[in-house]
Amino acid sequence: MATLDQKSPNVLLQSLCCRITGKSEAEVAHQFQYAVRVIGSNYAPTIERDEFLVSEKIKKECKWHLDRSCSTMRTHSYCKILSQQSVLKHRWSVLYLLLSLSEDPRKPSSRVGNYGALFAQALPRDAHSTPFFCTRPQSLALSYGERTAGLSASIGTSGISSMGVYTLNGPTPTPQSLLAGQPPQSAAGAGQSLGSRLAWTLPVSASPSALGPPATRPLLGPPAPSSRLVRPRRDGDAAGDVSETALVRDILYVFQGIDGKFIKMSTQDNCYKIDNKIVVCKSLRDTSSRLAELGWLHNKVRKYTDARSLDRAFGLVGQSFCASLHQELKEYYRLLSVLHSQLQVEDDQGVNMCTENSLTLRRLLVWMYDPKVRLKTLAALVDFCQGRKGGELASAVHAYGKTGDPQMRALVQHILCLVSHPILNFLYRWIYDGELEDTYHEFFVASDPNVKTDRLWHDKYSLRKSMIPSFITMDQARKVLLIGKSINFLHQVCHDRTPPSKITPASKSADTPKDAAELLSDLEGAFQEKIDAAYFDTSKYLLDVLNHNYLLLDHLQAMRRYLLLGQGDFIRHLMDLLKPELARPATTLYQHNLTGILETAVRATNAQFDNAEILKRLDVRLLEVSPGDTGWDVFSLDYHVDGPIATVFTRECMGHYLRVFNFLWRAKRMEYTLTDIWKGQMCNAKLLKTMPELSGVLHQCHILASEMVHFIHQMQYYITFEVLECSWDELWNKVQQAQDLDHIIAAHEVFLDTIISRCLLDNNSRSLLNQLRAIFDQIIEFQNAQDSLYRSALEELSLRLLYEEKKQQREDEGQWGVTAEQEAEEKKRIQEFQDSIPKMRSQLRILTHFYQSIVQQFLVLLMTSSDESLRFLSFRLDFNEHYRAREPRLRASLGATRGRRLSNI
Amino acid sequence: MASAANANLNAVRETMDVLLEISRLLNTGLDMESLSICVRLCEQGINPEALSAVIKELRKASESLKASENSTN
Repeated sequence: MATLDQKSPNVLLQSLCCRITGKSEAEVAHQFQYAVRVIGSNYAPTIERDEFLVSEKIKKECKWHLDRSCSTMRTHSYCKILSQQSVLKHRWSVLYLLLSLSEDPRKPSSRVGNYGALFAQALPRDAHSTPFFCTRPQSLALSYGERTAGLSASIGTSGISSMGVYTLNGPTPTPQSLLAGQPPQSAAGAGQSLGSRLAWTLPVSASPSALGPPATRPLLGPPAPSSRLVRPRRDGDAAGDVSETALVRDILYVFQGIDGKFIKMSTQDNCYKIDNKIVVCKSLRDTSSRLAELGWLHNKVRKYTDARSLDRAFGLVGQSFCASLHQELKEYYRLLSVLHSQLQVEDDQGVNMCTENSLTLRRLLVWMYDPKVRLKTLAALVDFCQGRKGGELASAVHAYGKTGDPQMRALVQHILCLVSHPILNFLYRWIYDGELEDTYHEFFVASDPNVKTDRLWHDKYSLRKSMIPSFITMDQARKVLLIGKSINFLHQVCHDRTPPSKITPASKSADTPKDAAELLSDLEGAFQEKIDAAYFDTSKYLLDVLNHNYLLLDHLQAMRRYLLLGQGDFIRHLMDLLKPELARPATTLYQHNLTGILETAVRATNAQFDNAEILKRLDVRLLEVSPGDTGWDVFSLDYHVDGPIATVFTRECMGHYLRVFNFLWRAKRMEYTLTDIWKGQMCNAKLLKTMPELSGVLHQCHILASEMVHFIHQMQYYITFEVLECSWDELWNKVQQAQDLDHIIAAHEVFLDTIISRCLLDNNSRSLLNQLRAIFDQIIEFQNAQDSLYRSALEELSLRLLYEEKKQQREDEGQWGVTAEQEAEEKKRIQEFQDSIPKMRSQLRILTHFYQSIVQQFLVLLMTSSDESLRFLSFRLDFNEHYRAREPRLRASLGATRGRRLSNI
Repeated sequence: MASAANANLNAVRETMDVLLEISRLLNTGLDMESLSICVRLCEQGINPEALSAVIKELRKASESLKASENSTN
């Protein structure tokens, strides 16, 4: 500290005063007093002591001062060197001092510079104040404050506020460019004090009009007195009759869509232009017509909002669209008011104006460039959105956001934010509360009030495809629909009153629609997550309720056990019990008898251990009786479904179940019948051994019966394993993994469809089914034929035994065993019986033949069927090629491989 | 000791040079002497904001003084 010796500040100050004023100590006493007072007084440090910040600013300052780029580099290195030195303790303050003393060659001197800076700073901010930055309380007054602060920076009292202005203007590069574009003014010292005073007074004079709500149209007041307008400003103005200033004034009105004095709306050209009669030089005419486009654009937007904002039916989305347009217009008006106040000031100071300072058309052209682009976008948007509403409108706006221009994108994003706000509101209400308050049909979920609760899940709610905003994918829309539907289903059908917040624990608190803006910007991430979470929670809850409170899965299993004959012992027992009843004509059946039998069957078998809730629903149903039907044809089991589970087991589903049940019941009956046939054969075989003449017929019977048994076994195998069990397994897996009710319903429907088609019950396999029915009929007929055969055979047998017995008895009594008459009678009867045998044989043969031909036809149909499992069935039915040998068509259609193999052998 | 002082002196000189250069670039209108006074003041913890205000005021005052002298002359 050799040179920087510790003199007291006062001594230093005094020498400084002398130095600057160039006077002796005595002469500067007054100034010295002042300096001491200032320094010692309340000047608390108002700025952050950040050396880096200050040095950065110095660099920036230097860049403006000197156009040599190397100077920046030099300052940079200076600052660096300085920061490495340890001599100075208060580096930042020295630097700061230098900075605040730094003299901008343009700024301080003239009023023009001030105004230039003022407007250059003010304009872009106004033009860009789409409230992405508008969240700060940007009232006009404040911005004026900032501006004045910016001004005062050059005078040098508070550096901090100038810094504030720069940082605030940071995002928009325009101020610098505008500044740079201004010709550097050589100091016009005389005007300085006046200029700065004016600068101070400006906000005061401007604020009353600026603070007024921009929506009030005649903001700038009626056109000023014309005497002022046309007052010739400059003698050297080449504009002929109309001065540029007048045009500027006119243009400002035209900007708001008000006809000016010279520039008027021309109806035939549909644009604002200078009246042809007025003599203006061409460049001015061109410039003003270019500027006047703003007025046209403004009118367009204005007209749209005016027309729509009162239209109630336009809906909330439309309203918010109008509001956002209004907001944009407001910013535009704000800008106009700034321009106008500038004009006002110029007028007030009129006489002293120098040419370069005033508002010119050219300057306006530059300043209005950005607002024009914005208005253009708005006008295009308005055009594009004409006639759209709700989600459609949001889609339209969203489509406009796909532009490469970041400013336009920001603008459209902002509008989209506002527009989609109501939609998001709907959406949140819907997915968290299940409420749909969509008076104007704008949301993409539609509700049909006519649908009753039993069809709520299927029919009540639907997607309005056209209203899905394009930023929501179809998948998301479907999920949204499902979430709300689930909630409503829980409330209305399941009568579950759990508050939604319990269903979706992650919801609500954090996710009020306030964060719509963030959501839109991050649609892929957070939004998707939110929907997913809500979807997951709600669906899970719904499934839990259905499974635990309404036993959905149990009912599903019950369907399989009872309607699809899965509970074997029960079905068998039921059939045993029902057999005598069902053999009677259908008209003599009574439901209550059958219900009693059903209950007996339930009580006697494992079915009794089933849930009472399920057994309660099990019932008998008699189908419509047509003449000649037996009980077998009309009997059916039924399962009552109601409440929430009826959503899964709909009426159609139950119809399908009934059809399947009938088919299975019939097939089961065939099995049952064949068992009876077989039993008869086994029981009677020994008895009838004594009648050798019957052996041929019986053999025929046995052969046919075993043929039928084979067929029915294979059919049963097919139905049970290839159809029911496979499909059931699939269904069960899907149901276990199901995430929402729709999945279960879909899986169930697939299950039923598969069963229906595999059981040959659908339209495609009608011919197959007919063949199968015919086969079943043949089995019944065979049963009858065999029954009658056995009946007559057994009758004959008993007669013969009776005859023998009598003969024996008589012989025991010591009489003749038989008389000749009796013997002749006996012989005759035997003869008759034996004569009837060929008849039986032929009847059997016919039956066999008929049966076989039907089976062959069935096989042919099976071969040609497209279903693989059916082709396998045909192979299984004809495993030893018994039928193939008889049916040439089978041979042809059996496929090349088998044929070739045969020929090889 | 002497060499250390010497080095210190060099450092100080260098610093002052750099500061002068920056001041010149920034067009502050301070000459070497006023600058060194200012630096000393700053080093003593004077608020630079106030100091700059004072300097500006002084300049204005001297200017007006001159002007009045001129007019009287």
